[in-house]
Amino acid sequence: MNLIHGKRMNAEQSKRELAQIGESVLRSLAAGRLARKDVIAACDKLSRKLSEQEHLALLVSSGMRPELAKTELAAFKSMLSRGYLERRVEREFGDWTERTFQPLDMDRSVRQKWAPLGVLLHISAGNADALPAYSVIEGLLTENVNILKLPGDGDELSLRILEELIGIEPRIAEKVFVFDTPSDDIAAMERLADAADAIVVWGGDAAVSAVRSMAKPDTRIVEWGHKISFAYVSGDEVSDGELTELARHICETNQLLCNSCQGIYVDTDSFEQVTAFAERFYPILERAAEEDPLPDNPFRAAQATLALYTEELEAVHMKKRVFRGKRCGVVAYGDSALTPSCAARCVWVRALPGECILQTLKPYKNHLQTAALVCGKGEIRKFEEALVAAGAVRIVSVGGISAHYCGMPHDGEFALRRYMRIVSCEYEGADGTGDRSNETK
Amino acid sequence: MKDAEKLFLGKNPYRTKDDGAFLRAVRENVRFHAENNPKYAQILDRFGFCADDIMNEADLYKIPVLPTLYLKRNELFTVPKEKLVLKAASSGTSGRASVVGFDRKSMLYGFGMTARFFAFYHMISIFPANYIVLGFEPDGQTGLGAAKTAYGVTKFAPAVHRTYALVKTGHGYVENKEGVLNALLRHEKQGFPVRLVGFPAYLYFLLRELKQRGISLRLHKRSMIILGGGWKRFAGEKIDSDALFGLAHETLGIARENCLEFFSAVEHPLPYCKCKNGHFHVPVYSRVIVRDVETLLPVPNGTPGILSFVSPLVTSMPLVSVMTDDIAVLRDAKYCGCGIQTPYFDVLGRANARGIRTCAATAEELAGGGKT
Repeated sequence: MNLIHGKRMNAEQSKRELAQIGESVLRSLAAGRLARKDVIAACDKLSRKLSEQEHLALLVSSGMRPELAKTELAAFKSMLSRGYLERRVEREFGDWTERTFQPLDMDRSVRQKWAPLGVLLHISAGNADALPAYSVIEGLLTENVNILKLPGDGDELSLRILEELIGIEPRIAEKVFVFDTPSDDIAAMERLADAADAIVVWGGDAAVSAVRSMAKPDTRIVEWGHKISFAYVSGDEVSDGELTELARHICETNQLLCNSCQGIYVDTDSFEQVTAFAERFYPILERAAEEDPLPDNPFRAAQATLALYTEELEAVHMKKRVFRGKRCGVVAYGDSALTPSCAARCVWVRALPGECILQTLKPYKNHLQTAALVCGKGEIRKFEEALVAAGAVRIVSVGGISAHYCGMPHDGEFALRRYMRIVSCEYEGADGTGDRSNETK
Repeated sequence: MKDAEKLFLGKNPYRTKDDGAFLRAVRENVRFHAENNPKYAQILDRFGFCADDIMNEADLYKIPVLPTLYLKRNELFTVPKEKLVLKAASSGTSGRASVVGFDRKSMLYGFGMTARFFAFYHMISIFPANYIVLGFEPDGQTGLGAAKTAYGVTKFAPAVHRTYALVKTGHGYVENKEGVLNALLRHEKQGFPVRLVGFPAYLYFLLRELKQRGISLRLHKRSMIILGGGWKRFAGEKIDSDALFGLAHETLGIARENCLEFFSAVEHPLPYCKCKNGHFHVPVYSRVIVRDVETLLPVPNGTPGILSFVSPLVTSMPLVSVMTDDIAVLRDAKYCGCGIQTPYFDVLGRANARGIRTCAATAEELAGGGKT
């Protein structure tokens, strides 16, 4: 479904809109920016409107488990509230959005200000519910005009959220253009890209490559690609409590998110120790899986069985050990490769001596996200440095692996900053007063 | 190998009596691989299995079953590679492709079996035909199994001309929509039957295009549609066979009984054809075992599970007991009623975490260092 000028449109109507998208965004830009404070006010109103009675069912109908839907709804409510958004903007931009100062090597004052890039084309993957709407809200918070290309299977939830926002603040209708054009309609995609100053792409390497080949050199690309996360365990004093927390996180996320732990590196070079750790972790994971059972799904069960059974067959002639049950599996490997888990609730365990962290993980540079550390307090800094040097962007204790906080960078970046540019005004009187004050913040 | 000969070269692919030839051929095939393929022998040892453990049909599930995923990640040739006369790769819909190879003996039985099988469906003809291949133009290098199969099918009746829906450019394939449409318009006047061979999704796109342009052809009455393979990345547009073949009748004038749908796999290169009631019956060359999604033990007929096959066709690789990624149901012949007396299976879908989407990096992304 398409959402243009605040109205839902069918394929035919949207084709006409697509043909004139360049003119439409120019009109929108000429009409002036929609101030951030007004966007925040609209989001805050939406946040207050969201209620379990009314909106929980919508999330559940989109395929979410009821308990998870409750948590997600609460998180979404909080992330749209005025307090949260104002604090977030402050964290990302520091304490100025416009400043005047006299540079060291100039005899008059200049003015610098953050300005929107102009028009953002959001190409969203369908991996997380309401992500497309969230991406557009970030575009609105930075006072951009937004074109959203929905994922192939549409996204009713995102459409509903954007409609609600337009209902609260009708001026948003001319700042958001939603199309459900399929990605393989190259001509349409190029038309959308031509109208944009930057393309915000969510998705895997294939999606990112497709955008890179489609975008002209004058169009900025903001990539939110696929990432991988893992745990790193060192020392003998690892408690069952910490491992239980890790196991719960694995079951809660089913290893589907970029911050989900896919596997566990053990600080050793011995396969025997890796196997021993896998054997110890297996019953802990099984207990967590039992406490948080997945709904019956023969397609998913078959995929996990086929994956783990294949590992067992390979273990006949390779350095591998498989511990598997009905609900989960742990595989000890003889190498140190970084891989996704072979199925939901299946974890790999591999050796990675501390001194090899950098050289082993460096090849995965821009795919690394979270490393959860389980080690003695005295060693945390040492491992943090090695993991950061290898490319990890988030270092956490196991308990906090799923956590999120206000002002948290996204994959090593502040998202809002990426949607803006810094304009420098250097004419006589640019500082507004003609006052030659000293550098001010 | 008299048993294999009897099995693969017999006339009726759906005969129900084989005088024990199937079991003997399977035992012989397992024994041959165990003796000539040390890696496979290790696997049999790990499961404590040997060829003589197969006493009757109910024992077939015990032959250690190799999943597609294993064949994608491991090379497992029983004969030296220089003896392989044909290599083929699966299309690798979800990443990696299996590479399999066939020696002269496997090829011989394979060709014989295929000829018998297709003759049963009146597909072998000395009368020339024009071909529209709804798939890839063959390419000496890539060795895509689908391209080879489609090309092979264009040998069943002498080809006057072949037109491909996906033509090679030197660094990939491009769609050849106009070429196919023009060929069809020409072929209508030429007086030869036309055979459309390939993927169902491409047939659907072609028919849809014809309908949109208001084109309605009356092709030669012995024209045929021969489909194989899934809808793959076009799964979202899938329509059922009746609707598809109804559209074919409307736009091409091809009768329903001349529309055939096949199932096969690179790892299990045997033909299965949908009967008039839309079911894949099991031919005499193989047995189908549907396995429990957790224990891999056989489930009773009528219960969904993982589709696996047993067949003694291939000698170059131990493909005697293989398991697909498909979820299927096996049923007794009596529930079909088409007249074929062997059990049949229906494929329900592919084993995966359906509907689940993820932002975690995939194995291909990590292995490719960001390249795609």
